[in-house]
Amino acid sequence: MKRVLSLLVLSLVSGIAAAQPYPSRPVTIIVPFAAGGPTDIIARISGEYFSKALGQQFVVENVAGAGGTTGITRGAQAKPDGYTIMMGHMGTHGAAPALYANLKYDPAKDFTPIGLVAGTPILIVARKDFPAANLKEFIAKVKDPAAKVKQAHAGVGSVSFTTCTLLTSQLGAKSIVAAYRGTGPALNDLVGGQVDYMCDQIVNLVEQVKGGSIRAYAIATPQRSPALPDVPTTKEAGLPGYQVSAWNALFAPKGLPKEIHARLNDTLVKALDDDATRKRLLELGSVIPERAGRSPEALQKLVESEVARWNPILKPFAQQ
Amino acid sequence: MEFLANLSLGFATALSPMNVFLAFVGCFVGTMVGVLPGVGPIATIAMLMPLTLKVDPTGALIMLAGIYYGAQYGGSTTAILLNIPGEVTAVVTALDGHEMAKKGQAGAALGIAALGSFFAGTVATLIIAAIGAPLTRLALLFGPAEYFGLMVFGLGLAIVLARGSVLKAVIMVVLGLLLSTVGTDLETGQDRLTLGIGELSDGVDFAVLAMGVFGIAEILRNLENPESRSGAIAQIGRLLPTREELRRCFGPILRATGIGSVLGILPGNGAVLGPFASYAVEKKLARDPSRFGKGAIEGVAGPESANNAGAQTSFIPLLTLGIPPNAVMALMVGAMTIHGLIPGPQVMTKHPTLFWGMIASMWIGNLFLLIINLPLIGLWVRLLKVPYRLMFTTILVFCAIGIYSINNNPYDVYFTAFFGLAGYVFIKLGLEPAPMLLGFVLGRLMEEKLRQALALSEGSFMTFVERPVAAGLLVLAGAVMLIAVLPAVSRSREKAFQE
Amino acid sequence: MRGKLLQQDLVAGLAVVAAAAFAWWLARKLPGGAGGGMGPGTLPKGLAVLLGLLGALLAASSFLEREGLRLRRWSLRGPLFILGALVVFGLAVRPLGLSVAGPLAIVVAAFASDEVRWGETLVFGVLMTAFCIGLFKFGLGLPIPLAPWLLGY
Repeated sequence: MKRVLSLLVLSLVSGIAAAQPYPSRPVTIIVPFAAGGPTDIIARISGEYFSKALGQQFVVENVAGAGGTTGITRGAQAKPDGYTIMMGHMGTHGAAPALYANLKYDPAKDFTPIGLVAGTPILIVARKDFPAANLKEFIAKVKDPAAKVKQAHAGVGSVSFTTCTLLTSQLGAKSIVAAYRGTGPALNDLVGGQVDYMCDQIVNLVEQVKGGSIRAYAIATPQRSPALPDVPTTKEAGLPGYQVSAWNALFAPKGLPKEIHARLNDTLVKALDDDATRKRLLELGSVIPERAGRSPEALQKLVESEVARWNPILKPFAQQ
Repeated sequence: MEFLANLSLGFATALSPMNVFLAFVGCFVGTMVGVLPGVGPIATIAMLMPLTLKVDPTGALIMLAGIYYGAQYGGSTTAILLNIPGEVTAVVTALDGHEMAKKGQAGAALGIAALGSFFAGTVATLIIAAIGAPLTRLALLFGPAEYFGLMVFGLGLAIVLARGSVLKAVIMVVLGLLLSTVGTDLETGQDRLTLGIGELSDGVDFAVLAMGVFGIAEILRNLENPESRSGAIAQIGRLLPTREELRRCFGPILRATGIGSVLGILPGNGAVLGPFASYAVEKKLARDPSRFGKGAIEGVAGPESANNAGAQTSFIPLLTLGIPPNAVMALMVGAMTIHGLIPGPQVMTKHPTLFWGMIASMWIGNLFLLIINLPLIGLWVRLLKVPYRLMFTTILVFCAIGIYSINNNPYDVYFTAFFGLAGYVFIKLGLEPAPMLLGFVLGRLMEEKLRQALALSEGSFMTFVERPVAAGLLVLAGAVMLIAVLPAVSRSREKAFQE
Repeated sequence: MRGKLLQQDLVAGLAVVAAAAFAWWLARKLPGGAGGGMGPGTLPKGLAVLLGLLGALLAASSFLEREGLRLRRWSLRGPLFILGALVVFGLAVRPLGLSVAGPLAIVVAAFASDEVRWGETLVFGVLMTAFCIGLFKFGLGLPIPLAPWLLGY
């Protein structure tokens, strides 16, 4: 008798919970990086809009580790009930399969793509006294082995690593590479003149460029950024093949119910039209996708093309 | 004088009722959360950051800074009372601070920590205001080779830190260095010493290591030896240091402020070395060095002051260059960015009210810390009267929750248990954990800087000789190690002769 | 001779040598020895060798000391239950939530001490957990699971 009663109560409770419209309790957004970084900030900004629009708290949970793959693995294994979603990015859903041999998820198959949130353009920057007046001269120096040009990156698997590797492989050049633990120390040595150049997300670099402590040669997007209007695009400056941006997107585990999926995507589209949210994202230097680019299908296509793009470039660096 | 004009602008901003209130709230909440065992400053700031989103940028930053100092001081409180250092800088405080607590002098230890920190904070604030910007340019001269020299110097300090045998201290330092290599290699991305456990590929977390080797081991030790427990703590006794003690601490606090301020400016976490350097200096200068490690009040006053001075001056690279020198500051950058204020070289000129307001409120924050914490000392000491059989389970659960909340990963809790076992074994074998922790922290930095220096010089070790600052630091490091080792060597030679 | 075997320094030294050997074994495949230039394996292997030498030195020094410290009693109960409590917490927190993991950990830990009184501990356990829930979940907003089996979060 007792058993029947408790079963009844339990099913009533869960039944009530299920019958209520989504979301009926707080939602977790897993951010696979430490708090304060670009992805985390974008997640928090968009999370705020979601909280307001859907009436339930969208809470960021930082699960950092292994270049972001720890958090994404956890997200992929969560229940697809819409209460756990994650912020993936170019690294976790594009470069990871090439870099990590034991990756526990497949970016193209194990997720329900919700939509692209914002991309952070990549800048090619150098120390302020570097002897090159523009991108063409810079490229010439980098390609010249006698110039012994030194590159800094924030660690294998980081955005600065993958994007600079793309650059050097496109140029067919080899630089002296120094690995740092994070963007902070790398940027520090760039400002101090200990290393020559770096490729990183605009968010991390914009104030330094504006303040003159480092110089930017080009931005790797089709349009100039309103945050740094004087920096030419790679197309204008002579390297049109170098187009890369650290895109950030929302994913849910595979098997998300259609209604919840539609609701989340819809809210995302509205968030990216909301003035307050747009303003804060643009201040960071992010690029907000056009309406056409915000659909789940567009994201899925992006993931597949990115995985294909990064594979040949990063395979030589794959971890055992 | 521009300096005074700037300061008065700063105080005008900082003394607005709203900002004063926010500074107070920040300090208070930061202290309360920082006191929880297992929750260090980084975790505290990350947890409390959302609270600041509801306020304007200047106010939010003032509150965040308050949370930061509060968390630091709260961490020192846990280090002194429970021997659980939440952060690297608290490790040194735990050494003599906890010994003092066991002798019933917890109040004096906490008091001198608060007073010393306040003094150091005041001086550091003045330094930032006066010469902050030009000082950063000096710090930029530090490249990887120079940092390597500094870290090796730090290793020498670790040996001086030892309470007992020098050989054992060196062993622990090397063990710490070895532990720091666990994880993915910086340059190649290969996994090292990880036993194939995925959770170890980012290396061992400091909080996990410190919690296990200090905190858990301490619980195990206390359960075994009811006599050596902090029974004396139950005597409330003096709540503040005596006049005599204050007099003795004056020199250490002064020296420590200087040491901490200088080291804090170096972008790249030089502030970590401050407390260790101060401890080593005071131990060498003291008339009776054997008091250190058994509850010498100078061993708390110095490191705490150096700690706070470093914490303040580490804002300088952030505010002038926009580059965070350590993980805590990186969080601050994140918080600032969320508020639409991306830190950079132009903050000082484009947002002077913010810049100087922050600096002024740093001092106000320090003042609040003193005001909040001195009365709290009585409360903490009273809390320790709770019978241990109830306390230890509580401490354990708090630790578990605190550790779990760092990365929301249960593996961190398992590792803490493992290190707790290791800590227990160390106690039984007479090996001290403090040098190991320092070796661990320095190890990562040292190897990183070594590899970078060699990468940039294309493999040439001559880079350490050619660069004057680096060479100088290495020579200094050698000297420190000699000073540390010589007394032990001469002692054993004496013994050999006696037999 | 038995007395000698139980000397602290000797056991410590040998334990250190064992640890060093283990570390060296783990790092054996990593490229980069002292001769061939720096690589990921240089520092781990070098440190392991150094550690081994120092450990041997420590063990040897115990033979020079006539009056060394003897090894004290090791207890099994404390470590077993305290560390066990942590492991239990780690295992339980995500599937069962803080509401279960907390009291469970407290109860397991209580076994570690013979001074514990059961009624008191159980009450205390529940109260403590409630306090932690209030503080960490509601006060600080930490994303720590509360009771996934009941509430879903």
